[in-house]
Amino acid sequence: MKKILQIGWKDLRVIFRDRAALILMLLAPFAMTVGMGLVTGTLSSSGGGLSQVPVVVVNLDQSTLGVALTEVLMSPELSQLLAVEENNDVAAARAMVDADKTAAVVIIPTGFTASVIPQAGQSSSADAQIELYKNPSWPISSDIVQSIVESFLNEVETGRIGGQVAVAQLIASGLVSQQQAAEVGMQIGTRLANEQSNMQTLTLNTRQTSVSEEPNFLMYIAPGFALLFLMYTVSLGGKTLLTERQEGTLTRLMTTPTGPSQVLVGKMAGTYMIGLAQMTILIVASALLLGLRWGDPLAVAILLLTTVAAATGWGMLLAALSRTPGQVSSIGMAMTLLFGLVGGSFFGGTLPGVVGYIGMLTPNYWGQTGFNTLARGGDLQDLLPVYAVLLAMAAILLVISVFIFRRKGLLQR
Amino acid sequence: MSKIIAIALKDMNIRFSGKTELLFFLILPLIFTLLLSGVLFGGGASKIVMVVVDEDNSDLSQRLVSLLQSSEAVAPSILAREKAQETLDNRDAAAILIIPSGMESNLKAGQAVSLDFTLDPSNNNGLAVQQEVQNAISKISRSLAVASASTREAENIQPFTDATQRQAYYDQSLVAARQMFDTAPIRIVITQPKNTVEIQSQKETQAAQASAGQLIIWVFIPLLGTSELMAYERVWGTLRRLVTTPTRKPTFLLGTITGQLSYGLIQMLMLVVIGVVLLKVPWGQNPLALLLLLISFGLASVAMGTMLGTFTRTPSQANGLSISLGMVMGLLGGCMWPLEMFPPAVANVAKILPTTWAMMGMTQLTVYNAGLLQILPYAAVLCGFAVVFFIVGIWRFRYE
Repeated sequence: MKKILQIGWKDLRVIFRDRAALILMLLAPFAMTVGMGLVTGTLSSSGGGLSQVPVVVVNLDQSTLGVALTEVLMSPELSQLLAVEENNDVAAARAMVDADKTAAVVIIPTGFTASVIPQAGQSSSADAQIELYKNPSWPISSDIVQSIVESFLNEVETGRIGGQVAVAQLIASGLVSQQQAAEVGMQIGTRLANEQSNMQTLTLNTRQTSVSEEPNFLMYIAPGFALLFLMYTVSLGGKTLLTERQEGTLTRLMTTPTGPSQVLVGKMAGTYMIGLAQMTILIVASALLLGLRWGDPLAVAILLLTTVAAATGWGMLLAALSRTPGQVSSIGMAMTLLFGLVGGSFFGGTLPGVVGYIGMLTPNYWGQTGFNTLARGGDLQDLLPVYAVLLAMAAILLVISVFIFRRKGLLQR
Repeated sequence: MSKIIAIALKDMNIRFSGKTELLFFLILPLIFTLLLSGVLFGGGASKIVMVVVDEDNSDLSQRLVSLLQSSEAVAPSILAREKAQETLDNRDAAAILIIPSGMESNLKAGQAVSLDFTLDPSNNNGLAVQQEVQNAISKISRSLAVASASTREAENIQPFTDATQRQAYYDQSLVAARQMFDTAPIRIVITQPKNTVEIQSQKETQAAQASAGQLIIWVFIPLLGTSELMAYERVWGTLRRLVTTPTRKPTFLLGTITGQLSYGLIQMLMLVVIGVVLLKVPWGQNPLALLLLLISFGLASVAMGTMLGTFTRTPSQANGLSISLGMVMGLLGGCMWPLEMFPPAVANVAKILPTTWAMMGMTQLTVYNAGLLQILPYAAVLCGFAVVFFIVGIWRFRYE
């Protein structure tokens, strides 16, 4: 046992002295987490998601509806989502989209109000349409602006048709005469316009889990990147076995009273200890520097132990199947990236569909599932199935690796 | 010139000496691009996943569901309440919409109904989903709202004698309202700049983002790997041997750059062809503009690799730095996450990176059909990066 630990400890020290390895093991995942925090706004006061979408409004109507739409777009409720600028020059506003300076331009044409609310004796027409000039390189933002404008128009149309239907029905039922129609219509129209909320018989009661209840987005993505680079680390651990064989140090080790099994288990222990140290450092660093709360410490600890065990299994299998250290490096990096993709490490969550099922073969998938459960307040009991799968994965992969190592005679004296 | 070509060919030989190089040159970029564009296995996220709990199971609730199903933005799946909550908890959906039992009958009775809508705050698509759902419920409820208002107006003038009379009045109003909505004029017209490609669906936009973003990342990282090549030559002493030959420092660097740039250009052109053929991304509208942008991006990347090579001591150190920097700069440059989603301040700061300019230039190509003139500013900035990186690289370059 002492020899096994000594071999493992030696590998751990060698790796942690290698600056190049430390860059990928510690710096890269941490930098990616911080980068993700920046681009999603999680690290800033904006709190993440789309915000301050630039929109230009050209109100050529300057009447009731034109002013109302401008007010809706500039309302306090939308002030975090939209950054609205008014401009009276259509060409200048369009040029802003052409120059990729704004997500969309809303052009309210002259006579828009008059075309929706016709004067006596005229009917509603579509002569004056609102133009939404969208920037195709801002597809999500401009779609949201379109949705907001369409919602407004829907309300306007509901009010207009509401007034017309009410008057027509009153006339048909004999409650008002044709002569009274214009006057009653005006009263109803005014009333409906002032009581727009009464027209909304079906409403959305939007609830957002409060920030204190729901974990920060970084709580999902930080373990994702840590798991991504854990796979690189375990391949590096497997690589040391082949490097030692190539450089002759393994042969020298075999001349000492150390059995092949002890060497192999020592190498596995080394890889395991390196992975464990990497994950622990990343977890502690993100808790201290980014303020992330990882949940029940015991559950986190067991999750780390089991995830690193499963990852070590993959690292050993890779070493067993490879012929040269260079091969382990290249295929190890490919494995790191592919496992990260299908296991959901790049997204902080598992992927849907067939890709999600393929991802289940990776420690990334189960590790991510475990960390996400903890982030939402899960405890040790919730994680029991995750632990079981990871341990089973570790056991199966390590047994296969040992079998291949023996078959290839890698550790013969 | 022959020296430059010889050095370039030698570098290409070293690069492709291992079979696994093909993994990073083509296979992985292809898998990543196809998966992130949503083509392979239906992966990625071409639509925002949301969950609907339909406890009413009425004509009206089914109309609402089918409206959401026909949306370009969201993909609703119908689940029971417990399963829906579990899906949201697992972050497999951006939101849950609950249609309560009795919605249709209550609305028909003129009563207001509120639908519970729960958003996952950590999902950046929440607002987009909310707008889509709001639009859908407005569409299905507006005729009912008009019928209710009409009935209320009649009641204000003279109360109905009984519930049957009230219901008949409501039904007539509802029919009239539906007819008027069906023939209502269209009040909005959607346009976009004349030179741009046709208004794209969410899926096409995602494919263009994946194609451009993955092209940049998968080319940028190996070109930064020029640093590894330089460190390798330094460690093995081949650079020292070069000193003994009549080869000047600029000739050696030019040869290395030519080899790496050719590697990058071949890879980029292959990924462009894959984008055009498999994802239908409109890359090839202006081939000259495309070529100019690819060359200038390649130059900036190789130059950065050359500069990095003068700061690193060992090949593995250079390799680690290339991968880390490449991934972080790709992320911050909008290659994995669209630039429009960035907070404005971060989007501005990200402009100090060559990856951001490459991504902006490629968006100009795939969205704006940009010609040579429009691409010039982006190419100029990338060439500017190349000049600065080369100057630092040559200044710091040592044979030993």
